[in-house]
Amino acid sequence: MRQRALGLAALATTALVVAGCSTVSNEPAPSGSEGEASAGPFTIGVSNGFVGSEYRTQMIADIEEAATEYQDEGLLEDLVLENADTDVNGQIQQIRNLINAGVDAIIVDPNSGSALDQVFQEATDQGIHVFAIDQAVTAESVINVGIDQALWAETSAQWLAEQVGEGASIVAVNGISGHPANEARWGAAEAVFEEAGVEVLTTADGGWDQATGQQQMANLLATYPDIDGVWTQDGMALGVLQALIAAEKQDEIVMSGEARNGFLRLWSEQGDDFESIGVVNPPGTGATALHIAMGMLQGQELDESQLQNGHDIVLELEEPVTAENFDEVWAEVQGEPDTYVLDSVLSADDVQQFFQ
Amino acid sequence: MTETKAAPTRERAPITARIARVRVASWATAALLVVAVVLAIALQPSLLSPYGIASTFATFLPLVLVAVAQAVVVIGGGLDLSAGAIVALSSVVAVQVMQGSDDRALLGFAVAIGTGLACGLVNGLIVSRLRLQPLIATFATASVFSGLALLVLPTPGGTVPAVLTGTFRQAVAGVPVSVLLVVAVALGWLVVRQLRIMRHIRATGGGPAAAFASLVPVAGAQLASYAFSGIVCGLAGLAVLGNAGSGDPFIGGDLALNSVAAVVIGGVALRGGIGSPIGAIAGAITLALASTILFAIGLPTSWRALASGLVVILALALSALGAPRRQR
Repeated sequence: MRQRALGLAALATTALVVAGCSTVSNEPAPSGSEGEASAGPFTIGVSNGFVGSEYRTQMIADIEEAATEYQDEGLLEDLVLENADTDVNGQIQQIRNLINAGVDAIIVDPNSGSALDQVFQEATDQGIHVFAIDQAVTAESVINVGIDQALWAETSAQWLAEQVGEGASIVAVNGISGHPANEARWGAAEAVFEEAGVEVLTTADGGWDQATGQQQMANLLATYPDIDGVWTQDGMALGVLQALIAAEKQDEIVMSGEARNGFLRLWSEQGDDFESIGVVNPPGTGATALHIAMGMLQGQELDESQLQNGHDIVLELEEPVTAENFDEVWAEVQGEPDTYVLDSVLSADDVQQFFQ
Repeated sequence: MTETKAAPTRERAPITARIARVRVASWATAALLVVAVVLAIALQPSLLSPYGIASTFATFLPLVLVAVAQAVVVIGGGLDLSAGAIVALSSVVAVQVMQGSDDRALLGFAVAIGTGLACGLVNGLIVSRLRLQPLIATFATASVFSGLALLVLPTPGGTVPAVLTGTFRQAVAGVPVSVLLVVAVALGWLVVRQLRIMRHIRATGGGPAAAFASLVPVAGAQLASYAFSGIVCGLAGLAVLGNAGSGDPFIGGDLALNSVAAVVIGGVALRGGIGSPIGAIAGAITLALASTILFAIGLPTSWRALASGLVVILALALSALGAPRRQR
């Protein structure tokens, strides 16, 4: 009894204290009424709900690097990071933490394309600019900054379809079924193969993880030894290539690759018969978004004609890595570690193209 | 097994002695809650703004509900690792049924609760009739329920009726609805605990053999604890929808393990029979605030995971302070 009463008492006090104060501070109603385009210094929050992949690590590092310029100029007071493995529910809390910390803009790599919309609305209602990177979201008040994932997939699918030719059969090692980025990419790639008359025998989930990708490819090779090609996404191509090498099929089966150093290194060690393609999916979009955010906070307005669907800033794809430019690209990046993802960050001057 | 045999004497101990035994645990729970609240507010004064309060309690609600669900199962001597998957499944089923239409909001409520109940019954039947280990059984059903969620809603999407997301963000007489809901969960438990089946669940968790000997329908009580948990997880699914405004089959993945942590911080003994969902609610709030506190002190993100793990261990250790005493 006492134990329950105690728990209740503690709960009730928490609720009462907190609720009691709410009526007091209700009157100023801080939301939405803050001054427009103040001179700063500003605070920018970053929310990322998946850590431990080289892509995300580099993405955060790029943002931090871009932020230092503004910090040195005194325009940016603080870059607040919410960077931890979590689910959608946890990311809702991350965003609310950032809102409560009083940030002026939020850059988010969302865990869901739609399930964070309400919390984004809470942020934008209070005059906070929200930018979604890496994965577009449906909330119209949020500015999506990123490459066209469908175009990204089409580029490598087109290349692979040309290599194997009509009537060929391939398999695909995808990311995670149901994940919006995966669906957007595979939907686009599948359409390319259908049009080109390339038969997709089956797909497997590699979870954007090299080890899983390798294992899945080894399984697929055991079941379908006579395939002509394999289409895969970034984060798994190195694993897929290792599986092909283990089966000594790297010169017979054509694969789409990735623009990451580990894969490029293995590519450089292959014979002349080996060909692949690596389409760049730059982690630097976060840093690009930071430049756009700083522009907007300083009063610049986006040029509506540059926006697709009213709230998407679509960045152009870099030229993919192919056999033609391989030596040139590799010479440039081979000093970086294997975890390096080929990158591109628009500078503060570059992003002026999106402003009025 | 020795524990089960020792249980009868424990259960027959006089009420006063029993309270003396659990007191430390709930003092620790209450103290942790107060410390967490004070620290969070001191570090992040904006939590006291109207938005701060409403949003913080809205964030609490799903975990608070799942913690209550988990507490009942744990008190009944079980464990439910599928709680998060039930939340996800109920939420996506409700989204598909409601299709963003206000008229179907009530139907969505019923469907979410029904889905939760159905999942709970599956767990309950497996544990009570097939007598599989709850840990493994619910680990497996979690996979089944997540798989079903993916079939129901293959890609994130769908709209939650505006009436649900809107009400969730309103205030009644200056008190945010999210606060009222958390209080309502606590009050709701005070009503539910009067039911005879709750006494049966507690007796079963305290010692199934002794409970059986006292004519308690042990299997029925186990089934009921999972069914109750399922219903409350269905409600948590609705709370998740209120927060998210859209469906996502991968939502709530962290809820199951967080709810177990919340239950233990709340002074509920994992071996069953001891504790209260009210403690679990306090545990859930402490846990949720812990992450806000770690954020507010500006700990470098690479340290955050380590620190939050340490905080949980510390909280568990403090809550378990009473345990050695019980052994004597």
